[in-house]
Order: sequence, then structure tokens, then C-alpha cells
Amino acid sequence: MVLASLLLVMSVSLWLGWMAHQALRRSAFMQGYFLGNRTLGSWAVALTATVQSGGTFMGFPSFVYSYGWSVALWIASYMVVPITGFAVFGKRLAQMSRRLGAITVPDLLRERFQSPLAGLTASLLILCFMTFMMVAQFKAGALIMREAWTGGGWQTAAEPDGMDRYYYVGLFLFTAIVVGYTLLGGFLAAVWTDLFQSVLMLVGILILLPLVLQQAGGLEEATRRAMARAGPGIAFLPGRDAEGRAFLPLGLAVSYFFLWVFAGLGQPATLVRVMACKSADTLRRSVYLLGLYNVFIYPPLIVICICGRALIPDLPPGQSDAIVPRLAVHVGGTLPWGGLLAGLVLTAPFGAVMSTVSSYMVVIAAGVVRDVYQRFLRPHASARELRRLSYLVMLLIGVVAVVANLQPVEYLQAIVVFSGASGAATFFMPAFMAAFWRRATAAGVVASMVAGAATVLGLYVAGWLGPDPLIGEKSRFSPYYLCQLHPVVWGLGVSVLAGLGVSMLTEPPRGRILDELF
Amino acid sequence: MDPIYRHSRCEAAVVMVLWTVAGVYTVGYCFLFGQEAPGGEIHFVWGFPAWVFWGILVPWVVCLGFSVWFARRFMRDDHLGDESAHELEERERDV
Repeated sequence: MVLASLLLVMSVSLWLGWMAHQALRRSAFMQGYFLGNRTLGSWAVALTATVQSGGTFMGFPSFVYSYGWSVALWIASYMVVPITGFAVFGKRLAQMSRRLGAITVPDLLRERFQSPLAGLTASLLILCFMTFMMVAQFKAGALIMREAWTGGGWQTAAEPDGMDRYYYVGLFLFTAIVVGYTLLGGFLAAVWTDLFQSVLMLVGILILLPLVLQQAGGLEEATRRAMARAGPGIAFLPGRDAEGRAFLPLGLAVSYFFLWVFAGLGQPATLVRVMACKSADTLRRSVYLLGLYNVFIYPPLIVICICGRALIPDLPPGQSDAIVPRLAVHVGGTLPWGGLLAGLVLTAPFGAVMSTVSSYMVVIAAGVVRDVYQRFLRPHASARELRRLSYLVMLLIGVVAVVANLQPVEYLQAIVVFSGASGAATFFMPAFMAAFWRRATAAGVVASMVAGAATVLGLYVAGWLGPDPLIGEKSRFSPYYLCQLHPVVWGLGVSVLAGLGVSMLTEPPRGRILDELF
Repeated sequence: MDPIYRHSRCEAAVVMVLWTVAGVYTVGYCFLFGQEAPGGEIHFVWGFPAWVFWGILVPWVVCLGFSVWFARRFMRDDHLGDESAHELEERERDV
């Protein structure tokens, strides 16, 4: 029953991919395939801006299970993410991308600053950071397939024994389906399946919530039972665990108020959806639709996982990623249609992973085809040639993801955080300069991107080489927390300074485009 | 001055003020009242630890209310403009 639910989700996703393919047949290839002809409505923009990923249903619940209520503060900035994500420069980017004929984020920077170097730098950084994040998601997809197949024998990739034939079959099947529907329908396929999967996530959570609350004897009882098992630290800040690790000291709490907000503002996958919106009214509606959606996703998910700590108190280390699927199986076992319930709940993380992978694949393929091949190698390539190359790039992405996950990456949530931090530090300031600062120069934008990216990367490398700081999540992939602040804060600061400083030191820009845009 | 540029600048400023106020209140309240009390005593409101309820859930709902008001009443429904001549030309070539 559980596996059947996932196969049903896959079939519907493939069908949506085919429908998107049909819808795009009569439109221009590049506009249609990579930007959906700028026809996204408010539901599509709001629910598909890729705020959810495999981390939302695996890494994040694992944090709540391990560190308790402090994780509510870790994610609290999502209370403003919808309004910041769409209202800070959404309208302006949508307007500029129309006037400049831009299809991708590098396209936009290149045209706005009349600088091929700015476009190329953005392309390379997107390819670098997004590929890393996307490949990590395939592991999550394969593990969920494996869980469905074996009916509860969940293990994480941290354990070599967990990698059996079910994992590899799951990996191949997951890759074939996601690459298949994304290749068929491009951006529109990613958006439509994303919308379908977002609804599944919501339904899964809203079904699970009352069931776990009832079994745990209420939320207060669940918290008290969790405190009795794991110690009082689970109900207080900074979320101290048995080893004395402080999950969220003050500096990190402040940092995460920056991280999620600026990651939402700077992620290329989000920016491109804003560029594809139908109208300003679409953006206005998206603000409150996403706000409502987040209220029904994040607080309930925290409650579910606190109850999970009370109901399944002793998950072995490394297996807390599986708390939501385990709860679905646990609660479902007592109900007549328990298998169906477990299947429905498992489709939530599965949908989140699929939607992240497909939307990232479109952005990466657009980066290669539009920003590198068409811009630098073959400016007069025909639509047929570009279409074939796009398909080839997507197939290659699938092959790379499979090969990379034969020995899967660990620390999925840490990679999600890294991706958000690098996106924020690299692209927030350039997008801001493009939208609001007439005096900004191409050199300033390039400096801003490179400085932000290098700062975050440097602090992650320092963290990898250094000792465990005993703050933040327990992971080998932890950054160096300079002054107990997350690298995103330093990355953003350096990016802002570099953008401002280099722009002021270089020749002021001139030209017709500036007069048109300002 | 381009009207979308003017409106967006004003809207962005309001949103960033909201982000600052929400961040200062939420992080400040939680760190003032969310630290472990002597003896591990804990108070609950509707099943939530009191510091989570007042420090996170209440501002979350307030921000949602503000977002609805902002989107419906404050944010302008500007015309985003038409596709550029370059884009139309490319479209004709690609179909």
C-alpha cells in the first residue's frame, strides 16, 4: 500500500510532465521551456517557490526530535519569508526581466549591467552551488523509496549496511521519473508537479497531526514525556543535548533570522519564479497564500516531531531523519487503513524532494544552455539545437546524480543550510543592486557575488578542518562560526561591502537602459 | 522616475522594517523567557511552552495578518510591462 502510494505520485507527476510538454508545443522553446512563458498564477508562484525540500521532512524533523522546542526559533523567520520573498524586489525583478528579455538570473544581470562577465560569473556560481544541493536530494528520494519498499526498515546513509539493493533500485527509479517529467515539460512541468506535491505535503501533515496528538496524550504531556526521556534541555533554549551541545545559542538564533529570509530572497530558483509571474497581482496574492501555507506546515510539523519524541523515544543515533515516516507507520498500525495513511504521509517528503530536484534541474539546465552555450558558444543556435542540448543536459544531470549517490552524501540538512547560505550571500546583493541602485556597476556586482560566495565557502572549509565547536547541529559538515555567527551573516556583510565599495570606485554606468529602468 | 521603481522601493522599506521588528522581538523574547529555569520548571499555554507561544506563535500570526493587509491594501498592483522587442523577435524565430 505504501509503495503503491509513491508509485501513484510518480505516475501523476509523469502525467503532469506530459501535459506541460503538450502545453509548450506551440510556444517559443527557450521562453516556454525555461520560463513557462511568464504565465504563473498566484497558487503556482506561492506554493512552488521551492521553500520546501527533502530537508523539510527529513532533516528538519530530525532536528526537532534531537533538540526539541529550540528548533521552533531556528525556523521562526519563516513568519516573514513570504512577504520578504515576494515583496522586497519581486515586482521590480519581474518588470526588469520583461523589459530586458531575460529568461534566467544570469541573463538578467548580464543585460541589466551590459556585462557578459557578470552573467558568466552568476552562471558558474549557480552551477556550482545548485548542483551540490540537488545531488544531495537524490539520496533522500532513494531512501524514501527504500522505506516504502521494505515497509519500515529505515536506515540512513550514514550506515553502510543501509545501502542495499532496495536503495539502488529506489535511486534508479526516482532518478528516471524526476528526470523524465522534468525533461518532458521543463519549467512548467516542475511548477505543476511542485504544486501537486505541495498539496500532498499539506494533506499528509494535517492528517498526521491529530493522530499523533491523540496518541501522545496531548502536546503538554508529549513535552513532559520528552523531557523525562531526553532531559529538560529539550524544552528550553539553547536546545542543549546530552553531550552538552548547544543547538541554538544567541548568535546562531540571530543568524537564522538572516539565513532563511535572505536565502528566500537570493535563491535563483525563487528569483526565476518571480520573473515568471503573470502580474503584480499574482505576487500580492502569493504573499498571503504562502503565509497561510507556512502556518499549516511548520508549526504542525514541530508539534508532530515533539510528539514523536514521546511516542518513539529511542531512535538510534543517525536514524532520527526517519521520524516522520516512522510516526506514520506507528500511528497507521493502529488504524484500519493504516497502510494508506502511511503511504499518504510518505508522499509528503517524497513530493518535497521531487519538487526541489525538478526545479533545480531546470535552473541548472537553463544555466548551461542559455547562459553558457547560447550566450558564448553558439549565439545563433536554432530552437531545435537548443531543445536537444537541454534534454542532453538533463540526462547528464541524472547520470551525475546517480553516480554521486552510489556512495551517498551524508548530512542532508547541513547541505540544505549550506545551499541557502551560499545562495543568500552570493545573489541577494547583486539582485538588490540591479533592482534599486542606479549607480551600481558591473564590476561591483561581480565583486559582490565572488566575495559573498568566497566568504561562505571559506568559513565552511575552516569548519571542516577545525574542531567541533559544540554549537549548532552535530555534523562533520559544520562551518566555522566566527563570533558564534553563521557564515551567512559574514557572507552577506562582505557581499554588501564589496558591491558598494567596488561600484563607488569604478566609473558610473551610463546608457539608455538605465533611463528606461529608473 | 519609473513608478514601479518608486513603489517597490517604498514597499521594500516597509517589509525590511517588519523583518527587523519581528526578528528583534522574537529572538529577544525567546532568549529572555526561554532559558531553563532553576528546577526545570516549565509553563504551558495551549500545550506549547509559554516562551514558544508568546515568542514565536503569536508574532507568527501577527505577521500573517500584517502580510494579508500589506498585500491587499498597501502593495500596488502595477502593470509589469510588456515583453521586450528582443524577446518578441526571439519568440518568432523559435516557434
